[in-house]
Amino acid sequence: MPQIRVNPNRMELLRLRKRGATARRGHKLLKDKLDELMKEFQARISDNRRLRRDVERELQGAFGLFALARAEAGSGALASALMSGEALPLLDVAQQNLMSVRVPVFSLGELPEPGGYSLATTPAVLDTALTRLAAVAPRMIELAEREKAIELLAAEIERTRRRVNALEYVLIPTIDATVRDITMKLDEAERSNLTRLMKVKDMIAQQEAAEGR
Amino acid sequence: MTAHRIAVVGDVTSVAGFRPLGFTVFPIERAEDAREVWPDVLRGDFGVVFVTEPVYAAIFDLVAETADEPIPAVTVIPAAGSAGGVGAAKLDRAIERALGTSVPQREEEE
Repeated sequence: MPQIRVNPNRMELLRLRKRGATARRGHKLLKDKLDELMKEFQARISDNRRLRRDVERELQGAFGLFALARAEAGSGALASALMSGEALPLLDVAQQNLMSVRVPVFSLGELPEPGGYSLATTPAVLDTALTRLAAVAPRMIELAEREKAIELLAAEIERTRRRVNALEYVLIPTIDATVRDITMKLDEAERSNLTRLMKVKDMIAQQEAAEGR
Repeated sequence: MTAHRIAVVGDVTSVAGFRPLGFTVFPIERAEDAREVWPDVLRGDFGVVFVTEPVYAAIFDLVAETADEPIPAVTVIPAAGSAGGVGAAKLDRAIERALGTSVPQREEEE
């Protein structure tokens, strides 16, 4: 394990120990966050598949009716009929804070009543097609909201996982290794100090014995 | 709470029907043309942008740039007569990103 290059003294040792404790606390917090995000994520993906499949099927049904209408009326007439209507701010967007991930919450306003085209020149099936499309629109918005939340959660999970792993496999082992290293060096210094003192004491004792003789 | 509009990008057949419903439509002829209208779509302050499957396949790199923002929520819808499955694949990629591996999904019972 690579170590941090610091002076092996008591002050650095204390500092590093404190850093290690902080890193461990951060790791635990992040890991809890990751678990919670995962739970949220799992809960969301299971429902989403069914919703997407339903929406896709209903849209295909509506497109089929449009194709039918075009076949009856001709594409020119249909295109001009569908030119009616204008873009409206239909969507209320709020934000929800989900484990510090900002996810949008959409609520669809009232859709305008389709119309404004000549009933004489367009086939009846066009009305049905538009009604079908209007019926599926709220679920499309719901799908958009859910998928966006899933994507944002996925990104946050990825980020959090990286942080957790960096702490777990890089920072904390490095600090531990450095702490161990400093402890060993300090112990070694302590031992060498002790032997030196014993040696000096011996020398003094010898000297005194020689003088006393 | 802020009011936003809804956009639909796709071939004329697929998107025309959304216009009477008050959606903003960006009809394009070829899927590659979406690359040109995309800056307008982003500037338009839309809450939700629906793109058809061929369009998403053509500009998925541009769409990916919006992935980390709350809005616009770019959602894939099938185009008239397209094979499907692209939207589900997009979601699978998100799952893969989160879990680090793609999880084989059990088929849900009908």
